[in-house]
Amino acid sequence: MTRNAEAALLAAAAVVAAMGVALVNFAMGRGFDAQVALTFLVFAVSFGSIHMALRRWAPEGNPYLFPIAAFLTAIGFTEIYRLDPGLASIQRWSMLLAGGITTAVLLLLKDEGVVMLRRYRYLFLAGAVLLLLLPLLPESWPLHGAEVNGSRLWVRLELPVGTRSLSFQPGEVAKVLLVIFLASYLADRHLAMATTGRKLGPLRLPEPRQLGPILIAAGASFAVLVYQRDLGASLLLFALFITMVFVATGRAAYLVTGFVLVAGGGYFAYQQFDHVQRRVFAWLHPFDDFADAGYQIVQGLFALGSGSLTGSGLGLGRPDLIPAASTDFIFASVGEEMGFAGSIAVLAAYALLAAAGFGIAIRSRDVFRKFLAFGLTIVVAVQAILILAGVLRLFPVTGITLPFMSYGGSSLLANMVLVALLVRASHGERT
Amino acid sequence: MNRPIRQLAGAVFASFAVLVAAVTYHQVIVGPEYRDDPRNVRVATSQAGRERGTIITADGVVVAESEADPDDPQVFRRSYPEGSLYGHTVGYTTLLFGSKGVESTNSDDLVSYRDATISGVLGALVGGDVRPRGLRLTIEHELQAVAHEALGNQRGAVVALDPATGAILAMVSTPDFDPNTLTGLDAGPTGTALEDDTSQPLLNRATAASYAPGSTFKVITTAAALEAGVASAGTPFPNPVELELPGSTATISNFDGQACGPGTEVPLSVAFTRSCNTVFGMLGMEVGAEQLVGTAESFGFNAEVPLEIPSIPATIPAAETFEFDVPGVAQTAIGQRDVLATPLQMAMTAAAVANGGEIMVPYLVQEVFNSEGVVEESTEPLLWLQATSPAAATALSGLMENVVTSGTGRRASVPGIRIGGKTGTAEVPGGAPHAWFAGFGPVDAGPEDPQIAIAVLVESGGDAGEAATGGTVAAPIAQLVFAEFFGVGQE
Repeated sequence: MTRNAEAALLAAAAVVAAMGVALVNFAMGRGFDAQVALTFLVFAVSFGSIHMALRRWAPEGNPYLFPIAAFLTAIGFTEIYRLDPGLASIQRWSMLLAGGITTAVLLLLKDEGVVMLRRYRYLFLAGAVLLLLLPLLPESWPLHGAEVNGSRLWVRLELPVGTRSLSFQPGEVAKVLLVIFLASYLADRHLAMATTGRKLGPLRLPEPRQLGPILIAAGASFAVLVYQRDLGASLLLFALFITMVFVATGRAAYLVTGFVLVAGGGYFAYQQFDHVQRRVFAWLHPFDDFADAGYQIVQGLFALGSGSLTGSGLGLGRPDLIPAASTDFIFASVGEEMGFAGSIAVLAAYALLAAAGFGIAIRSRDVFRKFLAFGLTIVVAVQAILILAGVLRLFPVTGITLPFMSYGGSSLLANMVLVALLVRASHGERT
Repeated sequence: MNRPIRQLAGAVFASFAVLVAAVTYHQVIVGPEYRDDPRNVRVATSQAGRERGTIITADGVVVAESEADPDDPQVFRRSYPEGSLYGHTVGYTTLLFGSKGVESTNSDDLVSYRDATISGVLGALVGGDVRPRGLRLTIEHELQAVAHEALGNQRGAVVALDPATGAILAMVSTPDFDPNTLTGLDAGPTGTALEDDTSQPLLNRATAASYAPGSTFKVITTAAALEAGVASAGTPFPNPVELELPGSTATISNFDGQACGPGTEVPLSVAFTRSCNTVFGMLGMEVGAEQLVGTAESFGFNAEVPLEIPSIPATIPAAETFEFDVPGVAQTAIGQRDVLATPLQMAMTAAAVANGGEIMVPYLVQEVFNSEGVVEESTEPLLWLQATSPAAATALSGLMENVVTSGTGRRASVPGIRIGGKTGTAEVPGGAPHAWFAGFGPVDAGPEDPQIAIAVLVESGGDAGEAATGGTVAAPIAQLVFAEFFGVGQE
């Protein structure tokens, strides 16, 4: 039975994380301490509860998706622990929380499956827009937005005790809600959109009536994101909208239009935002402005180059030199300490994740599940590709997290739920 | 609907293929370049805090050592007990300012292999020695200290070496700096201040800066003349007050503005002793650009110096660029115009005369020893250049001895030791002249006699300023070093 394979692979991922922590301790001269056992325990509890939920409520669901996610989480967690054990201990709490919420989501979907979500699409749309608006809350409120690195995409909740605060990135959760909305909307309208339409020169566009709500939703999301100056997330959501409409209608015109809009929007953003200009310059000429704009990219490249084939070894490199080493640039940190071998393993894991996700979409007979699986897969794949391309200097750095690997609770939670929806969608995918 | 999904899946996989290509490019293909980029502090930091080998002088004085932190025996701190004395030669290894000197060039010997890399662990398992090795330099501590003190707060350099082996016995450059200040907590501001200092305290003037050699270059002009058979020590030359240079209004005159002694003719030996520019201008024109440049190059000009630490070549323009420029040839022959030499080059020039015309490969590291003190590698003397013939070298040592006994270099003399040398006072447009002395002792050393060749440069006249000459400013510094080397009490 495939769920046993899943259990074995998840246990293996927990061992990878615990071994990683042990190796870091060894390299740092810390010895064998409670961190190793604690890490194993948290992985076991978090992924174990999801696994038990799947056993009960989605026994035929794809058994490889969570092991891949767990493997990526383990590699990322090891590197986070190596960079800052304090962050790692927060990340462990995030893992427990994400495991709990993901289990709860599976419980919620136990009878009807993902199809249940289809009914509440405007609730999800409203939820997504609300989440995207949250960072704009004024600073004086207990729950307010916060600006980090020139982008206002954080929400902070000041706790009544002391000066502590809870921060989260609502955009990460919003992207999952938007996928559900789009899948549901397109499942109802795709036939109309694909068959009707009016000609505009060589292009055949659907009736505005059919496309209107999507355009409004898309426009609103981007407006919010552009206002928050989080262009990575803008780009990600844009890719999501365009590809989903393309899948629903089968018309390449949408891809072309989308590409033109992205190029135009990118040019506009370049003209309008200083921090975009900085990032583009840093991308094109990182070595010319090593001390300032190019510093992060060059440090990332230095890390990768110094890692070479087999890496410096856990705890023996200097990924701490890279700005945002545990978040946006975690891939460079892994590349330095685990080498080319580790980099390729990570890339392969993302490719496998995408392959499994697209497979679920292709095999699904129910059109909502098909769109849902496709949307969830494309959003995680494009997110990974965008930030990896930034680290590898194929594209300007967009400042989004690397799914599962980057430090951050919101991102981990959103992506765990995303994978849970994928697995649940694959349960009985042929019906 | 599956067709567009397949197409987009294909696009996603193609993107991953591009990412794989990019990561291969950055980690495997150009990875080594990133790793060795001077702005990448990883190599330096990977060794930071780890034990590094001890560096000692030829006579056993510790000049660089690593001491374990009393609170954490795993963490070592590098210190330089002699402070600024070896700042340029031994250099430093730091996090913020990279590394320099022998600490940089011989770093592979000095690093510890006691680490958690695969080779480190395997090495320790099979019982290999993973502790860092140490270096014994060729430098004599007392000689170094005397040279350092003699230069004082003047800008300049002293290089002393063993003509028979090429071993550097002393190498001092001033102004200098204390490498300990670059490893401590306030290294940042200190290092930046040193980098911005207009007196360039981080520049090793002994090997990495070149100056017009002035009259010390007459050693090479004379060698060229002897080799070409144009003149010998006794050859008489006309003795004008001022040498008019053909094809120009420029003239060459002697330092005191007088003729080269009494009489209408003067032998080359006397002109050498008195350092007469008029005669050497004529000699240069007779020798010609091609022979002059050829001899200079056989003395090491225009060649990369095979010393461990970074050195720039002494330079003389190619013969074809000035062979028809007769005044230029005359000015080159007296070490002006476009001739530039490092103090190391002039020390090797003196060493060539002392060593029968041969220049040995200069070196700073005598031995590499392991953590138990057992010598693992030892530097063998190696011939670098045949600068001139043994006969010319013998003739030149006679001429140079005269300079110290009765000429411009009298203030370099040491009682009881036959010293040879040549002074130089290199004119600098718009500034005080550079004072030079290049010499050696003893003249006619037996095969067992210790010998030393010295070059002294005092930039812009030092404390004497406009009034400085090689004989009054540089020669006395050489004298102190000679006296220390030969164990002779100062006069």
